[in-house]
Amino acid sequence: MPLALKQVFRAQQLSLDDVCAKYPQFPRLIAIKIDVQRRGVHYTEAALSVVDPKRHQVRGSYIFGARDGQLTPVPESLVLRDGTTILTDTAPIEQNPYVVDLVDGELWLTDAGTPVEPVELWAEPAYYDKVTSSGVPMKYVITARPQRLNIFQSGYCHFWANGKGCRYCDIVNHVKEQRKEWGIPTRLRPQDVKETLIEALKEPGRFTNICLTAGSDTRGEKAFDSEVNFYIELLQAVGEVFKTRRFPSQLIATAFNEEQLAKIYIETGLTSYTADIEVLNEDIFNWVCPGKAEWVGYREWKRRLARAVDIFGRGNVGNGLVGGVELAKPHGFKTEDEALQRTLEEAEELATQGVTTVYIVWVPRPGSDFRDQKNASLEYYVRLAQGLHDLRVEYGLGVDFDDYRRCGNHPDSDLARLL
Amino acid sequence: MPIELPRELVELFYAPGTVKVLATVDEGGAPSAQVDPLLTLDHDGNVLYLERFESSRTNRNLVRSIWFKRPVTVTVSGYGGNSYEIRGLAVRAHVSGLIFQTHYTALRRQVGDIDLAAVWIIEPLEFRDESWAARQRNETEKHPAFVHLDRLVRTQ
Repeated sequence: MPLALKQVFRAQQLSLDDVCAKYPQFPRLIAIKIDVQRRGVHYTEAALSVVDPKRHQVRGSYIFGARDGQLTPVPESLVLRDGTTILTDTAPIEQNPYVVDLVDGELWLTDAGTPVEPVELWAEPAYYDKVTSSGVPMKYVITARPQRLNIFQSGYCHFWANGKGCRYCDIVNHVKEQRKEWGIPTRLRPQDVKETLIEALKEPGRFTNICLTAGSDTRGEKAFDSEVNFYIELLQAVGEVFKTRRFPSQLIATAFNEEQLAKIYIETGLTSYTADIEVLNEDIFNWVCPGKAEWVGYREWKRRLARAVDIFGRGNVGNGLVGGVELAKPHGFKTEDEALQRTLEEAEELATQGVTTVYIVWVPRPGSDFRDQKNASLEYYVRLAQGLHDLRVEYGLGVDFDDYRRCGNHPDSDLARLL
Repeated sequence: MPIELPRELVELFYAPGTVKVLATVDEGGAPSAQVDPLLTLDHDGNVLYLERFESSRTNRNLVRSIWFKRPVTVTVSGYGGNSYEIRGLAVRAHVSGLIFQTHYTALRRQVGDIDLAAVWIIEPLEFRDESWAARQRNETEKHPAFVHLDRLVRTQ
């Protein structure tokens, strides 16, 4: 869609103030988070002048690329005054992002020149300037959010091998770029992970959760055995660091079969499991996620999620959505009302089986098939967050493993702070 | 900037034996009071509350305060009968970063193996002298009719 048309379209949507007035029971700070994630940010020169790479975390390696398609060292992201983490990235100024500027010596989110909220930058973790005994910079082994450690075991997704990667995803293109620019390891060594973790946890009060994720690996005697075995290897290395049998952790992976899941649960200290179905509609799933459809299938993916509850327990199994991709053109839902209704219906079906559903705000990334699409309105995302939260309330489902602190990327699970 | 608290109230925060209570309300308006000896003031004159439990009612209610501008009160009472009530709003929650980690480390040094969920900053909006003498004086001056007549009968 041409830029001018995009801006007209945006102008027809409700503004932040309109949405907050229409949904007064929804926290404004979370609405701001969503809107910043939808639109991205731009840092003024004045804002960048106070960034100190020794104190502030700057953009580093990550599993997905940024919407500006760059790897330049701007701040990694932001924190609001209620502690809410905003995972967002820099967007070209012509796309009308929020602007982070210096106002009276403080960093503020601004919109059209009006200050919206003060923000803080993520703190640089102490281990980021260290290297492992094999010589790999630790910041490329485990990446940090304000309170979470991310272990991205491999940046390659085998669904891409025959051109069936998820259409919103840029994982393989991004990893190639990072490998070329920074020398990011293709595959992590368990010993490097363990050494990095030991170093990271020397910082008191910094981290509360460990998350492992990667692209899908279809290889093995049974599909995905290779992926499962590597996760087990890494989780065992992680487990050696802790005195407890289990440790707060999340695996975001392919929907494994029961045998594979039981193996992971028994042989490691993992406490929660998430298999992102990405979109809750079979036809749209088949279009958006052709690799997942080919190797697992929509109904089997949902069945495996439900079976995972038997192994990990209620409240410890999650399903993630790329919120808004269900509206992608031309095969997505035609209206936001329909998308919301149908998505929440299927999320409820999963909730009855003990599976909790969260979403991330879809960002059409330059390295993905859907790069020219647009994400949904702020109002849609607010309603989706409220709807998913209400399902958790109705079905008594916890989301401790994926909340504002342990993840920080799901507006709906930010609302769990009230429960 | 928060309102300026009187010196006597500030001193009461740090006096030995002072009882400090943080009262918050839930979604339905039900109050919840938490006695907490660690309630203190920060350099800007805000009340600083170290929440140890992520899942506590107080923590939930403070989230409600910062999100929906629900007032909270802090009562500070000394041995000598001095007592103040501060009405305020939660305006900041440090759950990560330098300030959080500094308090996390200090708290554990002071108390032992304990966790910290948040460093809450409560901005005072108003305060009241709630000592017995002040309340009695206030009632007598503003509401002279609020008295049982038997107390006014001549004794001789």
